[in-house]
Amino acid sequence: MPSVLQVEPNPSFTRNVIAAGAGDLKKCCLECGVCTAACDLAPEEAPFPRQQMIYAQWGLEEKALGDPAIWLCHGCGDCTAQCPKGARPGDVMAALRREAIKAYAFPRFMGELVAKPQGLLALLALPALIFAAIALWAPRGNPAPQLEFANMFPIPTLEALFFTVSGLVVVMFILSLRRMLAAWSRGGKRSGILPGLLPAFRAVVTHERFAQCRQGRRRYLGHFLTFWGFTGLALMGTTVGVGTMLGVMRTPLPLGSPFKLSANVCAVVILAGAVILLADRFRDAGKLQHSTYFDWFFVLTLAGVAFTGVLSELLRLGQIAQVMYGVYFVHLVLIFALFLYAPYSKFAHLLYRTVAMACSNGSGKSATSQGSTFAERG
Amino acid sequence: MVSQLGVYICSGCGIGDAVDTAKLAAFAERELKPASCHVHPFLCGREGVGLIKGDLASGAVEAAVIAACTARVKTREFDFDHKAVSERVNLREQVAWCQKPGDEETQAMAEDYLRMGCVKARKTEPMEPLVEEISRKVLVVGGGISGLTAALAGAEAGYEVVLVEKQARLGGFMGTVKKSLPHRPPYTEPVAASLADIILAVSKHPRIEVFTSALIGKLEGQPGMFDVSIVMDGREATTRVGAVILATGWKPYNASRLTRLGYGVSPDVITGVELERMAAAGPIVRPSNGQGPKSVLFVQCAGSRDKEHLAYCSSVCCLATLKHVSYIREQNPDTKVYVVYKDMRTPGLYEQFTDAAQAHPLNFFTFGEVAGVEKGNGDRLAVTVRGSVLGEPIRVEADLVVLATGMVPNAADGEAIRALKDAEVKSVNAESENQRAEAARTVETLKEHRGTQILNLTYRQGPDLPVLSQGFPDSHFVCFPYETRRTGIYAAGAVRAPMDSAQAEQDAWGAMMKAIQSVEMAAHGQAVHPRAGDLSYPIFQLQRCTQCKRCTEECPFGSLDEDEKGTPKLNVNRCRRCGICMGACPERIVSFKNYSVDLVASMIKAIEVPEEDEEKPRVLVLACENDAYPALDAAGQRRLQYDASVRIIPVRCLGSVNIVWIADALSRGIDGILLLGCKMGEDYQCHFVKGSELAKKRLENVSETLQRLQLEPERLQLAEVSINEWGSAPALLNSFVEKMREIGPNPYKGF
Repeated sequence: MPSVLQVEPNPSFTRNVIAAGAGDLKKCCLECGVCTAACDLAPEEAPFPRQQMIYAQWGLEEKALGDPAIWLCHGCGDCTAQCPKGARPGDVMAALRREAIKAYAFPRFMGELVAKPQGLLALLALPALIFAAIALWAPRGNPAPQLEFANMFPIPTLEALFFTVSGLVVVMFILSLRRMLAAWSRGGKRSGILPGLLPAFRAVVTHERFAQCRQGRRRYLGHFLTFWGFTGLALMGTTVGVGTMLGVMRTPLPLGSPFKLSANVCAVVILAGAVILLADRFRDAGKLQHSTYFDWFFVLTLAGVAFTGVLSELLRLGQIAQVMYGVYFVHLVLIFALFLYAPYSKFAHLLYRTVAMACSNGSGKSATSQGSTFAERG
Repeated sequence: MVSQLGVYICSGCGIGDAVDTAKLAAFAERELKPASCHVHPFLCGREGVGLIKGDLASGAVEAAVIAACTARVKTREFDFDHKAVSERVNLREQVAWCQKPGDEETQAMAEDYLRMGCVKARKTEPMEPLVEEISRKVLVVGGGISGLTAALAGAEAGYEVVLVEKQARLGGFMGTVKKSLPHRPPYTEPVAASLADIILAVSKHPRIEVFTSALIGKLEGQPGMFDVSIVMDGREATTRVGAVILATGWKPYNASRLTRLGYGVSPDVITGVELERMAAAGPIVRPSNGQGPKSVLFVQCAGSRDKEHLAYCSSVCCLATLKHVSYIREQNPDTKVYVVYKDMRTPGLYEQFTDAAQAHPLNFFTFGEVAGVEKGNGDRLAVTVRGSVLGEPIRVEADLVVLATGMVPNAADGEAIRALKDAEVKSVNAESENQRAEAARTVETLKEHRGTQILNLTYRQGPDLPVLSQGFPDSHFVCFPYETRRTGIYAAGAVRAPMDSAQAEQDAWGAMMKAIQSVEMAAHGQAVHPRAGDLSYPIFQLQRCTQCKRCTEECPFGSLDEDEKGTPKLNVNRCRRCGICMGACPERIVSFKNYSVDLVASMIKAIEVPEEDEEKPRVLVLACENDAYPALDAAGQRRLQYDASVRIIPVRCLGSVNIVWIADALSRGIDGILLLGCKMGEDYQCHFVKGSELAKKRLENVSETLQRLQLEPERLQLAEVSINEWGSAPALLNSFVEKMREIGPNPYKGF
């Protein structure tokens, strides 16, 4: 006899998942498997999301959260659209991801803080205070002849701060990921990561899996633009940051600089992507996916960073002193929130999904075998 | 024998375009010598019908031969007084619409059919309905929800009802439950199951007589004239009833055969019915220690949908479990409840019951198969479930395990009881040692039927209803619910098929309507379906009977009893007029006034068989009236063409085909004979249960004779055609004719 799973349901976990956005979880799933058949991303050897539906319904916390499959789901809503009972498997998968981020977060209290709207004020107050302090008290050099942000937020201070935050985030990510990987191992779902890393990267940069979702093509485009805009900006930002630290660059870069040009293009791309994603969410109005606070926190922070960034630049070019520093302040607060809270917000999916894809050798179903999962019961 | 024939040929509906009706009339005048012969362009119109009615009324014509459309249509137009013979010749569907217009062979076909129709009309005798004094009272056996509902329905419709219940109280199973399934909105919570109202209504009804603690001692007779003796404690009452409803309900499947699921191994493994009884009486507790369970696991399909146990789905166990879950929930909201199922089968609006149960955070449902129930931690039980969506086998600990066992009909297998009794006698009286041993073996395999009688019929074929493969006494699940293979006896409720109480109530109404229909038909000397309204009945020339008992054994409805010598005794109201006795009789002593061995043989002889050198084969098709003949009509209605060599004669059932017709046809020089009957086998479509099968068996015996006569056995073929197979029927006919052409002409032509 193969190993036997001792089952002791934990109803409070089920309640958490329902509270996390899977309101229809317990309503009416009849284990028919249409969700699994509908999903083009589910690998044949470990199909989802039907199994995860049962994990969640039965309150099997460890099984549900320690399952890399929840990360392979791209949340397109194909399953939700086809579920004959309206049990919304897509929402359940999203809720499980949220619970997993929270459960494996290091430190744990940060997970709790970021996941709930009650923590929002504290989360924003921290960077607001920091940047206010910088504006008020940070040592600064000679003011530039024209209006520059550095006049109020000295670059060396910001750089020191952001490199520290980045370092901290990397450490937190590593510690959180270790916890998650440990859970995967306990569930027997972890395989070697390194061999799959390259294909996973390819999948991420090309968005090839996203493209397989049949519902929400706009979401694919929005995500693609946002991802590339963000990646571009992150690269530019790091390069310029390192450049200024080394003294080979000085900000603000002239508009004609290739770096500046690229960064501006990226900012426009990310804004376009964010607008598409937001519009899609509003248009969908919860049909394919419910938007939770957890989603909004991440999406709005990201969109806010792009928006305030572009706005700040325009205001600086227009030398409008009255509002330019205020907008830049908001921009800084949002960047700080985006990065520092990344391991605890939806942002973490960037890491976890990539690692999960590296773990999973399967790359969804082959075209010929679609629908075969109906037979996989029993 | 009718001498004055009127022949009425219709030339409408395209008949006149395909057939030269004037020539046909001239042929009739010349060869068939009618007293009156007309061609009319619109025979079913007022003028045409008036013509026929006038001839019949004036006495100029004793029998009308109407050569027009199929007898399956225009029945109202061509409905005359039953004392007059009228015969329909199918020129439209089976000649004009399926043959080449204006062709010489088409004309020959029309002539043959007309000749056959005239022969039949001459040989048909006017019908005299057999009307006897009958009782319209209905006996209802079983006082559960089905029986009570049926009794009330019948009484409210104005019929006297006798209700017999074995137990001391009325109500049956539904009278013992705590609550009923949620058969009304919002379908999410069990509802109160009070039978008090209906029991009161039945008990007080002036037209219902109730016998409790009573059994049926003996039931003899036939529809309209059943004499029943009701046996109570030391007392016996007799009464005459017209029809019977069997509403004896169900019993739970024997769980002691489910030790695999822990039943009998641990006291904390119980059945759903046991849980129901416990809940109705008080709190639900663990039998081992009398304490309320903190976790309960339900095993669905326990011994159901399982070839080792009950092969079928009982349709209510999933709902019953949901009801039990709600009892548990009500008793202790913190109890964890697991339901392991194959499918949650809660059809229709009952699905909302499942949804409601599933929504509870402490109700856990999973697909899976219970691999074992054993001792767990402490005094709990550990249940291992395989094949669930959770991936690996799971082990769940529970205080109480409930097996949702299926429903077994409370029916007795009349044929088995009869076989057992015969074998018991043989095991003692048989001549040879071998025969006695063989009989003893039969007794051993059938011994479970000993003492299971319910109706105690005095029928030759056994004291109870024959059953289908799963033990349900339904006769024809496809077309005729409530019917059994005993005319006038109808099954209702869970004894007929697994069902819930709401369905059983509907069933009871349906069965009561059938019972009323049956007594009313008997009152008018008419057959019940499928030959509803038929006034003919079989007449036995008993002087020539050899007591071979084929008819009494083969009658699918047990219509024939026997005297001590084995002479058949017909109970005409039990008879469905299929003619299987007529097909069975080697002495050909059975006949109807409008259907007999001689009559059909004469029709066959009326077919003109062309000489061998003309190379025009003739193929006789004996087509079952219920499926094959309408299919051929439908082929004509769709203008599908087929070979002009066929001559179709409708038969009441392939079981009524007497082998002598085969010999008659072959000796006439007919090249081949095709028998078209209904689907046979377990899911038979035969309206008379086993007509096609009997015909097949009889044909096997004939094929030896054919070989002896040096005729190819392929000249005789039986095919199954269902009513919807009109599309392929022409091809079937054509390929058979083609085969006859290949084999070559019948060497007996011209003899």
